[in-house]
Amino acid sequence: MLIINCPYCGPRDQSEFSNGGEAHVKRPDGSKEIGDREWGEYVFIRANPKGLFYERWVHTHGCRKWFNCVRDTSTDEILVTYKLDEKKPNLNNFKSVVKTPSGEPEVGSGNFTVEK
Amino acid sequence: MKSINLKENQFIQFHQKISFKFDGVKYFGYKGDTIASALLRNNINLVGRSFKYHRPRGIYTCGIEEPNALVQIISEYSEPNTRATIKKIYEGMEIESQNRWPSLENDFGSINNLFSPIFTAGFYYKTFMGPHKKFWKNLYEPLIRRAAGLGKPPKDFKGISNHIHHNVDITIIGGGLNGLLAAKSFINSNYDVLLIDFEEQLGGIINNSNKISSIDNKEPKDWLKETIQEIEDSKNIKILKNTLVTTYNYINHLIAIEDRFVGSKPIEGKVNSTLHKIRASHTILCNGHIERFLSFQNNDLPGIMLSSSFEKYMCRYGLAPSKEPVIFSNNSNSNSLVYGLIKAGLKPKAYIDSRSGEEIEPNLFDLIRKNDVPLYTNSQIKGAFGNKKIEKILVEDSSGALNEIKCDCLCLSGGINPDVHLFTQSKGLLDWDEKDLTYKPSKPFQPTITLGSASGQFNFDNLNSDINEKLKTFKVKKLDVKLELNTNTKYNIEKLWEVSPQKKSLWAKSFIDLQNDVTTKDIRQAITEGFDRIEHLKRYTTNSMGTDQGKISSINALGIVSDLLDKKVNEVGTTIYRPPYAPLSFSAIAGRNCYEFYDPERKSPIHSWHLKNGAIFEDVGQWKRPWYFQINKDESMHDAVQRESKNVRENAGILDGSTLGKIEIKGEDALEFMNLIYTNSFTKMKQGSARYALMLGEDGMVKDDGIICKISDQHFIATTTTGGAATVLGCMEEYAQTEWPNLKVFMNSITEQYATFNISGPKTREIMKKAFPNINFSNEEFPFMTFQFHEFNDIPIRILRASFTGELGYEIYIPSNSAPKIWDNIQSVGKEFGLAPYGTEAMHLLRAEKGYIIVGQDTDGSITPIDLGLSWMIGKSKKDFLGKRSLARSDTIREDRKQLVGIIPSNKADKLEEGQHIILDREIKSPVPMLGHITSCYYSSTLGHDFALAVIKNGHSMIGTKAYASTSSMSTTGVDIVKPVFYDEDNKRLVS
Repeated sequence: MLIINCPYCGPRDQSEFSNGGEAHVKRPDGSKEIGDREWGEYVFIRANPKGLFYERWVHTHGCRKWFNCVRDTSTDEILVTYKLDEKKPNLNNFKSVVKTPSGEPEVGSGNFTVEK
Repeated sequence: MKSINLKENQFIQFHQKISFKFDGVKYFGYKGDTIASALLRNNINLVGRSFKYHRPRGIYTCGIEEPNALVQIISEYSEPNTRATIKKIYEGMEIESQNRWPSLENDFGSINNLFSPIFTAGFYYKTFMGPHKKFWKNLYEPLIRRAAGLGKPPKDFKGISNHIHHNVDITIIGGGLNGLLAAKSFINSNYDVLLIDFEEQLGGIINNSNKISSIDNKEPKDWLKETIQEIEDSKNIKILKNTLVTTYNYINHLIAIEDRFVGSKPIEGKVNSTLHKIRASHTILCNGHIERFLSFQNNDLPGIMLSSSFEKYMCRYGLAPSKEPVIFSNNSNSNSLVYGLIKAGLKPKAYIDSRSGEEIEPNLFDLIRKNDVPLYTNSQIKGAFGNKKIEKILVEDSSGALNEIKCDCLCLSGGINPDVHLFTQSKGLLDWDEKDLTYKPSKPFQPTITLGSASGQFNFDNLNSDINEKLKTFKVKKLDVKLELNTNTKYNIEKLWEVSPQKKSLWAKSFIDLQNDVTTKDIRQAITEGFDRIEHLKRYTTNSMGTDQGKISSINALGIVSDLLDKKVNEVGTTIYRPPYAPLSFSAIAGRNCYEFYDPERKSPIHSWHLKNGAIFEDVGQWKRPWYFQINKDESMHDAVQRESKNVRENAGILDGSTLGKIEIKGEDALEFMNLIYTNSFTKMKQGSARYALMLGEDGMVKDDGIICKISDQHFIATTTTGGAATVLGCMEEYAQTEWPNLKVFMNSITEQYATFNISGPKTREIMKKAFPNINFSNEEFPFMTFQFHEFNDIPIRILRASFTGELGYEIYIPSNSAPKIWDNIQSVGKEFGLAPYGTEAMHLLRAEKGYIIVGQDTDGSITPIDLGLSWMIGKSKKDFLGKRSLARSDTIREDRKQLVGIIPSNKADKLEEGQHIILDREIKSPVPMLGHITSCYYSSTLGHDFALAVIKNGHSMIGTKAYASTSSMSTTGVDIVKPVFYDEDNKRLVS
């Protein structure tokens, strides 16, 4: 179970939060003409990288505030959480993050107990 | 095997006899005994039958790693698979052996041993996949189900468990020498420390072996007592005993289970275990090591035991399982057993070592020589033999000659492994140590520190420096402990995994996994058949898949595999160690979240009235809603529903709608916000009016519906479906925060603050007039889809004129606390008009007659408002709302979408069924092209026949045509496709 640092309440157990998928996906402006592709991508297409990922969470059983974070999907490490109106951090700042447990290749499970 | 009691022992109270029953026979043990030590004391060596071959099995170890001695505790709700080596006895305990019939001595299933050549690796897979599937169903499966397995499921299990959360700086797992020293370093420091040990007494190796002769020039026993006292006195350290850490999750989240009834019978109704959920900044693993066994023919015979376990029985339980055991080792770990035996005045029958004379430690050599113990160096045991117990062994000595030694006990040591389970659960990485021939922790993934043998330090010479170095970051006081050993040796091991049997035979078995009856032959076969990846091999052979998870044998299997594949052990790798470390009961995991606390029940303020008036309840989410009301016990549901609905159509009915979600929306920009959330436009809507509204997902599909009351442009109240309340509020909050943070708007759930009564029927107006005499309910003053605020006997109420039944109807919103009073009042004034309560089933029938949908029943997340024929609800002039753009997607404008229609049987007497398909052909000939399905279906006594709502392809243009509905008896019924309105199509009754 993760500990998530809610920018409003501080560190809390993961069970208090809900995941909201990829962050910084901009909703197309409804007052303008929106092409099929643009709208389709907004509704259906989300990134699913292995590694650093901008993600949305909501403190459902807490302050009910939405916020963003950078999570390493391969280690589940949450590197930073920040409020919605804060600038999104540059992923290059997180180069020193712990790599996957076994340092396995870019695609794969990471379920090893011995270094590969 | 004849055991003897040793002289006084600090852990066993020899003056306190305890009686217990094993397989119906009464025996005596002493206070402090485990089942295993008590059985050994009574010279009982045969304690169970093995999983597959039903081979006789005895007690192999003295701890949690036990693969064989699993018993059923009859006196504790028949708890199965209890490790006899851990469970303490108490007066009157009843124990049974497992997996045998009719008795342990004469087990019918042992016939499997004869057939064992066919039960090889992959037996199940091969049988399953074989051409004769009938064999599996009729012969193999029933046979295997009877024969295989461990214990029987418990009966009426009522374990109660509490959950306790800990937030600490440091968790020390294991209260052995290193754990105690680590804890000692933290005495009176600023760290909150939790010290956890699985046993009742702290001390680990100090209690369990003869290895240590003095600590700080004191008797180990005395040093231990003083140290524990110091730790206990320190205010920042908490000790949990009898607590096993089973799980090491991310971010130092540990789960540990504490047995609250060690050595006594659990009291019914009392908490018998505590589940500790621990969050620490750092975890220090001091959980020691586990000795492994060796494979040779019949290495499973009762009387064979790990040598450190024999030593533990001596030190910890004052019991030598045998007076003259043979010792077989390939390493120096059993030196202390030889020392201990001789100190106790006993003598090993023989000492057999696979190592050469030069490699054997000189002081061991001296000890053996001085005491005339027969010594076999460079020798191996080819096999053990005997009937249900070990009687003799065959030793191949350095010259290759075979020696037969008669014995009643054999102590084995195949080397030691750090107990890496928790370390690998934490995602730490292991590395193979070529010298010590074992996997050792190398790279931690979390703030995890390993100390002592858990870190692979099998010698004591670096004790102080290792701890001081690893605890440096904490800036605690440095240790300087002086340790003297009885057998002053460095750990030394020679590679030996398996000794091949003397005679090749199909029935010769060298076990690699005792609990699952996996032999070394199975491993060979698996590799021959291509299962050479360790994870595949594990699953194909079931090696290390038992409740013991191969604790004494999994490394041996890796060794054998690496030799067979001619690969380094590091390349072979290990299988993943997954939690839990040892089995824990579901009742412990469930804690108090069971029975009535499993899921909270939500009840309306009128619930007790419903109870008194014959309500049969239906679960809607967590809510209990009256499904229908029985006027007498003989009334069927069908009759009740028809009576209730008829009464609404003819007189008036009242429904408790308190469970409907209610959300209050306020703020400067509330109007703009509501326009964005719902499809409808609220701009031109008058204050005090209400509107049926739809909410879509961004994909354009209907997500929820409800009635929106506009109090002003800055204040709205929305109702939602009962099940959708939380989701709708969540969605509103999400968009208010993430997409439109510029809008000044706030929302809150008021579901539980207000009760709602829906009164409808032609006589409603009369009832309302009487119940609320100061309100004018005329059509002019109170038209359809408007609402008014009033005070009634000082209670603020809101009345909305709306209807979900198609009749004249009102919804009354009342603060929950005052609701029962008003409910009662309406009941009493309504009596003369025939007012009767109705439940959700009648409501569903009534709304379906009008073609009103229920989101989630008539829609399924793939239906747009257009599909429902609700295009008029879309605010087309609005620039934006949730899902607007999606209504023009190629998929949503497709012509052959499934659309809502009404269905009536062409022959009015025919029945329809919910969920059945609508098809074009009368004959069912597969493949059947399916048009869609029936979403709601009822019998209506108002119409006099069955009718249904359905979603079918191109439905709107099919209205007026005929089709067929499938039935559950695989035939079809002719149906007419009609408009989805069956009653009062022009809404005359609604606005009357």
